[in-house]
Parts: sequence; C-alpha cells; structure tokens
Amino acid sequence: MARFTKPLRSRLLGRRKSSSGKGDSSQEQAVENAFSNQELQKLELSADLQANLLQIMSILSDCSDVVCREFDFAQEERVKLALIYVDGLVDKTQVSDQIMRRLMLDAPLVKQDGEFTRARALNLIKKKLLTVHQIEETNQVDIVIDAVLSGDTVLLVDGHACAIISVARGWESRKIDESQTEMVVRGPREAFVETLRVNTSLLRRKIHNPNLKIETIKLGQVTKTDVAVVYIKGIVNDKIVTEVRERLSRIKIDAVLESGYIEELIEDSPWSPFSTVSHTERPDKVAAQLLEGRVAILVDGTPFALTVPVLFMESLQFPEDYYERALIASAVRLLRLFSMFATLLVPSLYVAIVTFHHEMLPTALLLSLAGQREAVPFPAFVEAFGMEFTFEILREAGIRLPRQVGQAVSIVGALIIGEAAVRAGLVGAATVIVVAFTGIASFAFLYTASISLRLLRFPVLVLAGTLGLYGVICGVLAILVHLATLRSFGVPYLSPVMLSGDMKDTAIRVPWWAMLKRPRIISMAAPQRVARGLKPTPPPARGKR
Amino acid sequence: MLEAGKIDSKQAIFLMVSMVIGTALVFISSSTARLARQDSWISILLAILAGLMIAWLVVNLNLRFPGKTLFQYPEVILGRWPGKLVALLYIWFYIHVSAEIIREYGVFLVSAFMPETPMIVFEILIVAVAAYAVRNGLEVFTRVNQVILPVIIISVIILVVLAAREMDFKRLLPVYIDNGAVPIIKGAVTPALRMGEIVTMAVLIPYLKHTKKAYRIASTATMITGFLLLTAIAADLTIFGPEVTTGWFFPELNMVRMIHLANFLERMEALIMVTWVAGVLIKISVYYWAIALGSAQLLDLKDYRPLVLPVGVILLALSIMIHDSVMDLFVYTGTFVNFVLIIFEAVIPLFLLVVAVIRGQGRKQNQG
Repeated sequence: MARFTKPLRSRLLGRRKSSSGKGDSSQEQAVENAFSNQELQKLELSADLQANLLQIMSILSDCSDVVCREFDFAQEERVKLALIYVDGLVDKTQVSDQIMRRLMLDAPLVKQDGEFTRARALNLIKKKLLTVHQIEETNQVDIVIDAVLSGDTVLLVDGHACAIISVARGWESRKIDESQTEMVVRGPREAFVETLRVNTSLLRRKIHNPNLKIETIKLGQVTKTDVAVVYIKGIVNDKIVTEVRERLSRIKIDAVLESGYIEELIEDSPWSPFSTVSHTERPDKVAAQLLEGRVAILVDGTPFALTVPVLFMESLQFPEDYYERALIASAVRLLRLFSMFATLLVPSLYVAIVTFHHEMLPTALLLSLAGQREAVPFPAFVEAFGMEFTFEILREAGIRLPRQVGQAVSIVGALIIGEAAVRAGLVGAATVIVVAFTGIASFAFLYTASISLRLLRFPVLVLAGTLGLYGVICGVLAILVHLATLRSFGVPYLSPVMLSGDMKDTAIRVPWWAMLKRPRIISMAAPQRVARGLKPTPPPARGKR
Repeated sequence: MLEAGKIDSKQAIFLMVSMVIGTALVFISSSTARLARQDSWISILLAILAGLMIAWLVVNLNLRFPGKTLFQYPEVILGRWPGKLVALLYIWFYIHVSAEIIREYGVFLVSAFMPETPMIVFEILIVAVAAYAVRNGLEVFTRVNQVILPVIIISVIILVVLAAREMDFKRLLPVYIDNGAVPIIKGAVTPALRMGEIVTMAVLIPYLKHTKKAYRIASTATMITGFLLLTAIAADLTIFGPEVTTGWFFPELNMVRMIHLANFLERMEALIMVTWVAGVLIKISVYYWAIALGSAQLLDLKDYRPLVLPVGVILLALSIMIHDSVMDLFVYTGTFVNFVLIIFEAVIPLFLLVVAVIRGQGRKQNQG
C-alpha cells in the first residue's frame, strides 16, 4: 500500500479547507475532515502514478476495506500498475484471474511487435489483455472514487492520466427468496432482493421488450444510492414519467436507505392517512403495473419497489386475482371489499347500535346482548375502544417480538385478554367477538390500506360513541370526501368510481378475454390490451356432424 | 378561472339527480298526497313535464352566454347594476334554500332518530363535511357523488322490493274520476318546483367538458329524478293508501318500518338515514359551492375559498333562526316557499330569456 507523506496530505486537506472557506454549503462546513462532492468533481488524474495514488488514497484514507495493489506490467519494471478496489465488494476470483493474472503473467504471451512501453501499455491492456466483460475509462477522480465504492475495480497505469474501471462486482447478498409479505397460493413465488441489478433483471426477465426502459439516477448526497425509474415506453403516460423524474430530481437528502424515504418525498398528500404511492416486493406485480402504464421506482438496498400512480381500488387487488379464474377472483375481491368496510365500521356500528339504536336489533339478539353486558361496568364505547387498543398493541408486539417469546405473547394475548377478561366480567363476550372479527378482517386486504383504515377506525369509533349511527355516517362521508380530494401523480385516487369506465378491474375482475382496454385513467398511450373475440367457445360436438 | 374543475356529462347527470332527490325523496310524498290523493302519481308525471320545461329554459339561456354562470350573464343582459342585483338575489335565494334544507335535515334527524340530541350538532357536522368538499372544488364533490348516488338508488330499489309484499295496487283506484284535474295540478306544484331545482344547471354549465350536451344532461337528470320520485310515491300509496300517507311527515320512514324479513332484517331505518344524510350532503355541497362561487364572481374575487368558512357560519346560523318550530317549517315549506321557488326557477329565468331575445343578446357569442 502506498504510504503518503504527511505534508502532502495536509496540503490536500489545506486546499480543501481554503475552498470550503469560500462559502460552500453549510453541510460541508460542518464536516471538518471530509471531502465534498463539489471538491471531488474538480479533481483530475495526472500522468504520474504515485501522485494519483496519493491523491486517491488520501481521499480514501482510514478506509480499512480499500485495497491498493501495486505491481509491474508483464513482469517488467518499466511500467507500473496499481489496482484499487474495496475488499468484500468485488469478486475476488475474477479480480485475480481476469485482471491481475492477465496483466502479470499472461501479458508476455500476447503476441506483439514491440516492447511493453508506457505509451502502448494502455491500449494493450484495454484491447488485448483485460478479459472483464465491461470496462470504462475516465480521468475524473470523483468517478474513480464512485466506481471503487460501488464495487468496481480501478486500474491505474503509470504515464497515463486515466483510469480503467472494470466491472467485477460480487458481494454477499440475500438469495432471491419467496415473498414474505405478499403471499400467493398460485403464481410466481419470487420476490425482489436488496440488490438493484438483480431486481431490474427480474423485471427484464418478465418483459422481453426493448421498450422496457430503466433509467438510473443517484440520490442521497452521502449514500449515493442508485435509484431506477422503470417504465414501458409506448404504454406509459409520458406526463407521469416526466413528473416522476422531476420530483426525484428535486430530492436533496443525505441518505436513501429504503424506498420509504423517496415515497415520503414524492407523494402528493403528505398528511393524508392514505398512501398515494404504492409499494410491493413482487416482480410480477410491478410488471403488471408497468403493463398498465404505471411507473416503477426501484431503490438499491431494499426489496420494496414503488409504483405510481396508485388508485384506491388497488387495495383490493392482488396478483393472484389475475392468475385465478375470473369468477373466483371477483368473489374474493367482493370479500375483500366487505372486509375493508368491516375493518373501518364494525366496532363503530356495534357501539352505535348498543348505545343508541337498540331498536334496530331483533328482540332475541337484543336480549342476549343485554344479558351479556349486564355485568360489564363500562359503557360499550370504552369497552370497544379499550379492546381495539389492546388488539393494536398485540399486533405490534407480534411483529417485533423475538421468535422465542412468541408463544408467551400469544398465550397472554389470546387467553388472558380474551378469555379471562370476559370471565371477570370486564368485557362483554360480544365485544371480544367484534374486535377479533375486525382484527382478522383487517388482514384480508392490502396492508397499506389496512393500516390507514385501522387508524381511521378510532376517530369513527369516537363519533359512534358520541353521535351514534349519524356520527358513523358522517365519519364515513368525511373519509369519502377526503379520498375524493386525493390525487396520485395527477390521477384521481378514487377513480374509477361508479359507472365511469375502467370498471372492469375494480371490485370485480372480468375474464381476460373481456379486459380489452388498459385503464384509460392512467395512460391513454396504448389503450388496447386484449384482442376482441377471444372468448373461448366450445367446438361443435362430433356426433352432430 | 375561479373554479378549475371540469366535469363530464355522466358526472353532471349524477350530480343533478342527487341534488334534487337528496331532499325530495323524503319530503314530497306527504304534501303531494294531501292534494292529489291516490292520483299523486299523475301529479308527478305532470311535474316531470314542468321540470323538463324549466330545464330547457335554463339551458337555453345559459348556452347563449358561453362560459358565464347565472351570476354573470344577468350583467350582460340587463346592464351592470341591475345585473348585479339579479345575481345578488340569486345568491340570497341559494343561501335561503340551503338554510332551509339544513333545517329540514336537522328536523328530520331529530324527530326520526335521535330526539334528545340538539339539532345544531347534526347540522354542524354535515355543514363541516360539505365545507371540506366545497373547499376542494367541484370535482371533489362530483366524485363523492359518483359513489353516493348508486348507493342511494340501490337503497331505494332494495326498500321498494322488500316492501313489495305490503303493496296493493287497488289503492290507486279510482284513477282521476274522484279528483278531477284541479287537485292533481295543485299536487303537481310542489314536486315540479323540487324538480325545478335543476335551475342550478345555470351555475354548472360553464364547468362541463362538453357544454353542447347540456340539454341532454338536464333532461336525462330530470327523467331519472322523476322516475325515482314516481317509484317512491307509488310505493307509499300502494302500501298505505292516500289517507295514511298524508298523515305522516315522512312516509318513507314508515315504509321501512314495515319491512320484516326472515325475522332478522327488521327496522332498516339505518338505510334511510344513510341515503338521507348522503343525499343531503351532495345537495348542500352543490348549493354551498354555488353560493361561494357566485359571491366570488359577484365581487370579482380571484378565489372563492376564503368565502367557504363565512358562508358556512351564515348557513348554520340562518338555519337555526329561520323557523321557530317544526310546524312553522312545515307550514312554510307547504306554502310560501313555493312562491320563492317559482320566482327564482321560472319567472326570473324567463324574464332574462325574453330580454335577451328582444335585445338580441348572446346570439353573437353563440354563433361566433
């Protein structure tokens, strides 16, 4: 490794300090001993290998995982080479076999009609020696640094003011695995992983079409995370792509560790309980979204891809609906719609009816309810609110708890809170049933919408406890008005609403042979999806001929 | 533009239907049956014709002045100050009718569902939701309505089907002979004026995507409304007969109370409450929007949204002050309100149209 002299390092740092004194952004001034992006952009490589190394290694000083390997070209001392890479991010066998071995040992074997001079070395290496699949050339220090830190291997050649970047990445990462959050019975099982390249390849494998465009930008001034904007040209609504690019380019943040960072920075209504950017970890879902004219945003380091624009109706839609037969899928969707209403309303309706509107119940049911609630010391509202609150705690605890204590929580949750509370007469059995039903119903549709509705359940519950059924209705209407005000990248969130076209894929799904058009509300670019007249008709029976 | 939203024909039809049946569905049966008795359904048919005429009048007037609302074209027709006066009168009309509706709404909920709750609570809540919708513009409550109207229509159909067991069509006999023409025509006045609320098209037309379809929108909306009212009144008459229908303020509510299904589905008043609250929300939103928009246009403001809160407060206060008691309300809605409605739904538009035709105004814009 190159040992850099103290004076030179301080010279570099000194120059940096003077430039920051001129009034760069405040963030850089705060970080005393670091290099800023703007500064790096100004630096260029020189023809002197040692000077280059000093410069680069002083920037990468105190990074114990950076390896700098100096060696001679083709066993001769005339031409010096240096290889810089990050240990752990590169494929070691590739670096030693395809790069170092070629340059040190195989180079003399390459037929050439002269000597290995400095002048010829660069071309020789590029054209004849490096057997790496992808190389790049640059003279910018910031590009070199970026490349090294993204896992590329940088080769510096003495006497040339440029660096050869060879892509030989290879790091430990999670294998493509079954989706953990969006399960299906029928349909592809694979889910995205944390590596962006793998994720884009999953999409590419589903859509073999040159119109599938993947644009990449870097976001996060410190993390420099790769973010890909994916869409299908010709199907997508160009306005939405422009809008996505515009909103992404506006982002100035230090770090992007998960797509959620981006979601919060590009969404339309930041204070709404409903999410106007959808996320998924299923490549088949993203592919389907792209084919409907949406735009996907993939972020390196997370398996969750964002898709926009999103409609409220998507909370009812799961990939499996499109693989299962239409009739079954439609029935299941209606079930989900019901669950959605149940999640929001069942506890509130229970409280409203028990507190204010006894007359709405059949007499037998009313008597049975009254009998159960006779011993309960709390009003129905307090009871239901408390149980709902307890359920939310149990749910949250259930996600966070270490596996070993899982059993304890479920026993405490199910037995003590459910059974014992009823026996002790603290809670009516009916309340437990209502809360349990609501809890289960809340998992029957998209998780994102479920969280929003579970949150809204509490204000509606308060309205039910104070104003009865009227409060519930007003609460629902207010939520409806709120939903109608939302837009996701220009598309009304509530659309398609009743009888407004695009209704074939909402609360029900028509068979594929009837789903002729893409949703027009998202993109008008290429409306036709399925050819007409594909409805299968049985051939005439043989005997009749 | 004060209002940036544009709505398409279907949305406009939906909006107009909801706006009219929001209140009409619950309030018409009793007052019509009092006059026209078992021939009330004929009154409704007459009312549809009258409604169509008002719709034609308003649309015709509006299409002469493209891009201008009811609050703007009187100025073109009558000159600046008389025009402003007419616009002001219309704003008063909308404020008055809205306050009236809010009061009717509160009275209905208090007397039918929760007698011990102060009326103002119901009113504040619905006006707050309406204000939220209006603040966000025409497109928002139009979309809300696209969800609400199907719910209302389906509820009406469900109720009528479930109550069908109790129906006896002999109660509609004898047709005409008993009454003669006069009571039937008298009975038609109230429903006709309710359907004449289609006059609000005059505010809506400039915000249509296809202005030329305005005739079709207005007539379709009137027909749908008329059909729904016909269904409701026919159900009331065949179930209860004219005498009993007259005796109740809200016959539909009692119709729902008749429903018994499998010893479980009883007392489905909740369904009526849902349709009532939802329908009124749309109606109030449209009027509320018209008031805010009209005031802004009258005063040449750049934005109507700052007016939403003050208008809401005025509506609420007025709705409480406007009548002393329920009886006062019903006497008023039975008699005096009809004069107000006739003036603003028929007389003034007709006057404006006549003046416009005589002065030859509006044609130029129309042709050019």
